[in-house]
Amino acid sequence: MVAQLILDGLVTGLLLALPALALTLTFAILHFPNFAIGAMLTLGSYAAWIANSLLGIPLAMAAVLAALAMAVVAMLCDFLVFARLRDRGSMTLLVASMGVSLILENVCRFSFGNSTRNFAIEVARPIRWHGLRINHEQLITAVTVVACVILMQMLLHASPLGRAMRAVADNPSLAAVRGVERQTVSSITWCLAGVLSALSGVLAGMDRAVDPLLGWNYQIPIFAAAILGGLGSPTGAIVGALVIGLAEELSSLVLPTNYRQIVSFAVILMLLLVRSQGLFGGKAVRK
Amino acid sequence: MIAYLTTLLVLVAVSALVGLALNLQWGVAGLVNFGVVGFVALGAYATAVLSPPLGWFAGMVAAAALCAVASTALALLSIRLEENYLAIVTIGFGEAVRILLLNETWLTGGALGIADIPRPFVSLVSPARYDVVLLCFSLALVAIVFTVLEMLIRSPFGRVLRAVRDDATVAAALGKPVLMLRIKAFAIGGAVMGVAGALHAFYLTYIDPSQFTSIITAYAFMAVIAGGRGSNVGLLFGAGTIMALLEATRFLKDAVEMIDGTQLAALRLGLIGLGIVLLLLLRPQGLFSEPRRRVRDFFPNDGGPN
Repeated sequence: MVAQLILDGLVTGLLLALPALALTLTFAILHFPNFAIGAMLTLGSYAAWIANSLLGIPLAMAAVLAALAMAVVAMLCDFLVFARLRDRGSMTLLVASMGVSLILENVCRFSFGNSTRNFAIEVARPIRWHGLRINHEQLITAVTVVACVILMQMLLHASPLGRAMRAVADNPSLAAVRGVERQTVSSITWCLAGVLSALSGVLAGMDRAVDPLLGWNYQIPIFAAAILGGLGSPTGAIVGALVIGLAEELSSLVLPTNYRQIVSFAVILMLLLVRSQGLFGGKAVRK
Repeated sequence: MIAYLTTLLVLVAVSALVGLALNLQWGVAGLVNFGVVGFVALGAYATAVLSPPLGWFAGMVAAAALCAVASTALALLSIRLEENYLAIVTIGFGEAVRILLLNETWLTGGALGIADIPRPFVSLVSPARYDVVLLCFSLALVAIVFTVLEMLIRSPFGRVLRAVRDDATVAAALGKPVLMLRIKAFAIGGAVMGVAGALHAFYLTYIDPSQFTSIITAYAFMAVIAGGRGSNVGLLFGAGTIMALLEATRFLKDAVEMIDGTQLAALRLGLIGLGIVLLLLLRPQGLFSEPRRRVRDFFPNDGGPN
C-alpha cells in the first residue's frame, strides 16, 4: 500500500518536474514567476490533442509537434509581451503573465469548450511487479521526464548555451559586455520553457484528461516544487517536484483525498516559515 | 429594464468595492494579491453563516474582521519576502478557500451552498420595492468605503505606503516600519473585500462555491489597471466601464448564433486577460494616473519650500 503510494508519488513528482524546471529557468533569467506556466501546459496538451485525435498522428509524434508549437507560442509571448515589459520590474511582469495565462486558457476554452478530451491511445493492462501496479502512462512519464531532465542538465552545465544562460542569470550587463546577448538567451529560454510545458501537458493529459483547467490544477504544485527547490535552481526544481509528488500521494494516508490539493499550499506556507530560500536556493530572497 | 439596471449597478458596486480594496493593496502599497476571490468568498460565507444568528450588520462586520485576520496571517507569512511570494501564497489561499467551502459541508453546505441569507432593511419597505433600497444600500456602502480609503490615501499613512511601494529600502532607512505598514494595508484591503463579499451575499441571498471564480480576481486587476493604479476616482470609473463592456458581450450571444454560454464566458475572461496585457503595454498609468500630490496639498497653510 505505502510502496504503491511512493511509486505513484514519484511519478506524480516526475510529471511536475518538467513545468517546475520551465518555471525556474524563466525565473532565473528574467527574475519573475511566470504565472502563465499552467496555461502553457494546457495549451500544449490541446495542441497534442489536435494533432493526435483530430489529425490522427501517433501520440509520440503529436507530442513533438506540440512541443514545437509551444516553443513558438512561448517565444511569441516573450516577443509581444514580456520583453517589452522587462524593465518595468517583476511586479508588472507577473501581473502581465497572469493576463497571458487568461488569454491562453480561454483560447482553449473558446475553441473546444469545457468538456474533457482524451488522447487516442489504447488502454493497456497495468504491469504487476512484486505486488505493485504500474500503468503504461506511468512508465512513459518516467522515461520521458528522466530523458528530458538529463538533456536539460547537459544543456545547462556542459554547453556554451548553458554557460550563456547562467551568465545572463547572474549579471545581464556583464554578460552583454562579453558579447552574450540578453534577448537571444531569453528567447532560447522561453523556447525551452515552451517545449517543457508542452511535454508535461501531454503527460498530464495522459494521466488525467485534456480540459481547460488541466494546467491550473497543477499551478500550485508547480510553484510549490520550484519554491521548495529554491526559485532559479534547476536541480532544486526536480528534487522539489519529487518531494511535492510524494507529499501529495502520501497525504492520502492522513487526509481525505478532497484535501490533496491543499498539500502543496501547506508545503509553501511551511517553507516560508522555516526556510524561505528553499532547499537549493543560494541567494537569500529576504528584503 | 429598471430591474436590470438595478442588478447591474449592484454588481458594479460589488466589483467597485473589490477594486477599491485591491487598489489599496496593489495600487498604493504595491502588494500583489491574486487571491482576491478567496477573500470575497470568505466574506460572503461568513456573512451567510453569521447573519441569521447575529443580524446582518454584525454578520457584515464579522465578515470584514475575519477577512482582515486572514489577510494579516497571509501577510505575516510572506510579506517579508519579495512580492513574488505573496502573489503565489495568495493564489494558494484562493484555492484553499475554494476547497474548504466545497468540502466542509456541515458549515458551508458544500456545492449546494447557503440559501435564505437575511438582507438589510428588509422590514422597511414592501418586497416589490426592495431593489431600490438594496441599490441605495450598495451605493452608500461604496461611498463610505471610497471616502474612508481616500482619506487614508491622503493621510500620512497613505503617503508612507506609496513611499514603501516605490522604494522600500529608502523608506526603511528613514525609519518607517515597512513590514507593519504593509500588513496594515493588506489587512484593510482584506476587510473591504470581506464587505464586498457580504454585499454579494445580501444581493443574491443565496451563495454557492461556483459563484466565486477567478473572474472576480481578473476583473479587479483589470479595473485597477484601467482606472490607474493608486487613483480611487479612476478605479470607480474603470470598474463601471469594464462592467458595461462585459455586459455588452451578453448581447453578443443574441447577435451571433454560434456562441454558446461557455464560449461567452471564455470570451469575457480572455478579453480581460487581453485588456490587462494591452493596458500594461500601452498605457501603464491607466486612464486616470495617480494624482501627483505636492507639499502644498498636505500643508495648505504652510509656506513650504516655495
